[in-house]
Amino acid sequence: MPGFDFSNYNRNAALHARGVPLPKATSTGTTIVGCIYDGGVVIAADTRATSGPIVADKNCEKLHFIAPNIWCAGAGTAADTEFTTALISSQLELHSLSTGRKPRVVTCMTMLKQHLFRYQGHIGAYLVVAGVDPTGTHLFTVHAHGSTDKLPYVTMGSGSLAAMSVFETQWKPQLNKEEAMKLCSQAIEAGIWNDLGSGSNVDLAVITPEKTTLHRGFVKPNERTQKLKSYKFKRGTTAVLNEKVIKKEEMGNYISVVELAEETPASGDKMEVDT
Amino acid sequence: MEFGTSGVLSEDGIHVDMDRLKKGEVNLGTSIMAVTFKDGVILGADSRTTTGAYIANRVTDKLTQVHDTIWCCRSGSAADTQAVADIVQYQLGLYHMVNGRPPTTQIAAAVFQEIAYANKDRLTAGLIIAGWDARHGGQVYNIPLGGSLHKQPYSIGGSGSTYIYGYCDANWKEGMEEAEAVAFVKEALKEAIKWDGSSGGVIRMVVLTEKGADRHLYLPDSDYKVRHQ
Amino acid sequence: MAAMFSQNPLMNGPNYSFNDAPRTAAPEGARQHRFDPYTDNGGSTLAIAGADFTIMAGDTRLTSGYSINSRYHPKLFKIGGTTADQKDATIVLSVVGFAADGEALKERLDAICKMYRYRHGKPMSVKACAQRLSTILYQKRFFPYYVYAILGGLDEEGKGAVYSYDPVGSYEREQCRAGGAAASLIMPFLDNQVNFKNQYEPGSGVGHALQERERKPLTRSEGEVLVKDAFDGAVERHIEVGDGLQMMVITKDGIEEVLLPLKKD
Repeated sequence: MPGFDFSNYNRNAALHARGVPLPKATSTGTTIVGCIYDGGVVIAADTRATSGPIVADKNCEKLHFIAPNIWCAGAGTAADTEFTTALISSQLELHSLSTGRKPRVVTCMTMLKQHLFRYQGHIGAYLVVAGVDPTGTHLFTVHAHGSTDKLPYVTMGSGSLAAMSVFETQWKPQLNKEEAMKLCSQAIEAGIWNDLGSGSNVDLAVITPEKTTLHRGFVKPNERTQKLKSYKFKRGTTAVLNEKVIKKEEMGNYISVVELAEETPASGDKMEVDT
Repeated sequence: MEFGTSGVLSEDGIHVDMDRLKKGEVNLGTSIMAVTFKDGVILGADSRTTTGAYIANRVTDKLTQVHDTIWCCRSGSAADTQAVADIVQYQLGLYHMVNGRPPTTQIAAAVFQEIAYANKDRLTAGLIIAGWDARHGGQVYNIPLGGSLHKQPYSIGGSGSTYIYGYCDANWKEGMEEAEAVAFVKEALKEAIKWDGSSGGVIRMVVLTEKGADRHLYLPDSDYKVRHQ
Repeated sequence: MAAMFSQNPLMNGPNYSFNDAPRTAAPEGARQHRFDPYTDNGGSTLAIAGADFTIMAGDTRLTSGYSINSRYHPKLFKIGGTTADQKDATIVLSVVGFAADGEALKERLDAICKMYRYRHGKPMSVKACAQRLSTILYQKRFFPYYVYAILGGLDEEGKGAVYSYDPVGSYEREQCRAGGAAASLIMPFLDNQVNFKNQYEPGSGVGHALQERERKPLTRSEGEVLVKDAFDGAVERHIEVGDGLQMMVITKDGIEEVLLPLKKD
């Protein structure tokens, strides 16, 4: 069955009626912005993800790939921005293959708005869509209910007011690439400092007719402060109440094991560890 | 139709739902109008869209083309009115290709009404359809919230319209010249913007005549006096 | 007693795995309108009692919702001095929760301490002040001060004393206490690092026979380091904590105040 699985709906509704609260989705409190300049478009985002007042991820990616020449910045429910952009990215590639043309930003925007409108705002994705295609440079915002706007500079998310104050005071027509990058970065920083839902670093992407450049961690004004003391415990500090050893050969009985080639170690963001 | 328990029952017994917009939905606060004149019809609108107290877009274009010389003014939910206008634009394009002749304003209005009425419990869309066609000249149709259809010599809509019923009633004349009609629309919208907090920004207009569509733009910087573009 | 200090309103009812209070069953579409005079202004406080000192600390951020109202709004107040600058005070009150109530509570307690000194010709002891604070809070049992207060000073023997309160006046003398938004983040850290909870002497036994790590009194510099590290940690994971760290150390020589920077995002 395609689409969403509603099989737990009745159970959850009954539970909710008895006072069990709904689980909280990770929300990307977020500041996201976009700005067109002479020769391309820049989009940027902060990197904080929150769950209520708790920081769920200090360095998450809010800049999503749609096509090589189209990128999306997402605010709202993290899962919704992730899956909606991935879904449209897939459909857009198939569309591009079937028409034999490069994907267009308006096509992407229309697919997004129709998808979101169908779900009447229940899919909490607030997006900034930007890109360059054969018809020119484009920048849109798409709200969760399915409305769209086309503007030369845009902001979204809980930090949108802080970010917009930067655009409304500094923006001018005819910006060059460096000016646009600086302006977007400053707008995100306004969100990082003044909006509690936003924080950590600035991610930024520049899209031109030639190529897209993703600057992950364009500005990092919030490096973690070094702890004053080492909190390394002496080995054996933690009580072991029960011990069971599973030999490597028996591991297959408990989990599925995939051998990785020597030269391709498993990659991912390195975890922050106190030294 | 589903009757919710929200909203209030007004004096005349009509159920007024003040809570139609969902939380966080983009609202076209809005002052919109369309006016017939001697050679055609003029559509006018402010440019403010809001989410709560925040102005999400201060230069919105609420005048949407659905065919060559058939346009509409949108008020209510931005998402709903955009979706409806997109569907109608598609339907009218198809109509033109199938029948080999452009749709009349009346047909366009009927297509709008069909959608607005069939989905009245799901939509928050107040629409004014205005168009010019060779047979009927300039025409204005109004489709308010429930999905009814009203042919009118001129129509006003949106939250700002409440402030200009008196002005429009006193100053509208049958068969105005273009310049006179433009001035009428502009002055009416200036008043609506002045008094309605949910309306503001620039004034946009579209003049529909035999010659096609002509766009006007007036900025608050020059007190809406100078035509730009 | 444990439940009393819990900031989880669900502790007296069923405990859910989700950190969210159940919605009151209101008929669909019905909306309640009532006077709501409280705001949660976020922030966190912390107090550690040592052998001959007490450390009180709090961040200086004041928030409402996703906004920062102030980056420097102190949560620590010297209580019961004879002058306006409180330079001869010996007791510190920390308040977190609703800032306006905190301010009002501080003014009340300070006025009462001053009256006590005027009438008795001697400053109030921490013990007496702590008992009086409890009474003040309970007087407003049905329209409480929405604050989590901590009172710090030195007792009659010169030992560090920390008293912590719930909003309606239940209190307890403790070794250490974290309050406010990030209390649930800081308190386990304190349990582990101040009282050595869950730490055992390596190789001292097997399973339950394992010897607990011996507790030894914290020095002042160790305590200050723990406070700074606790807040640096809280700032990383709680959005309402940040900007500045205000720290007061109470010793027999008086109160020393330090202000350290915290992250501002």
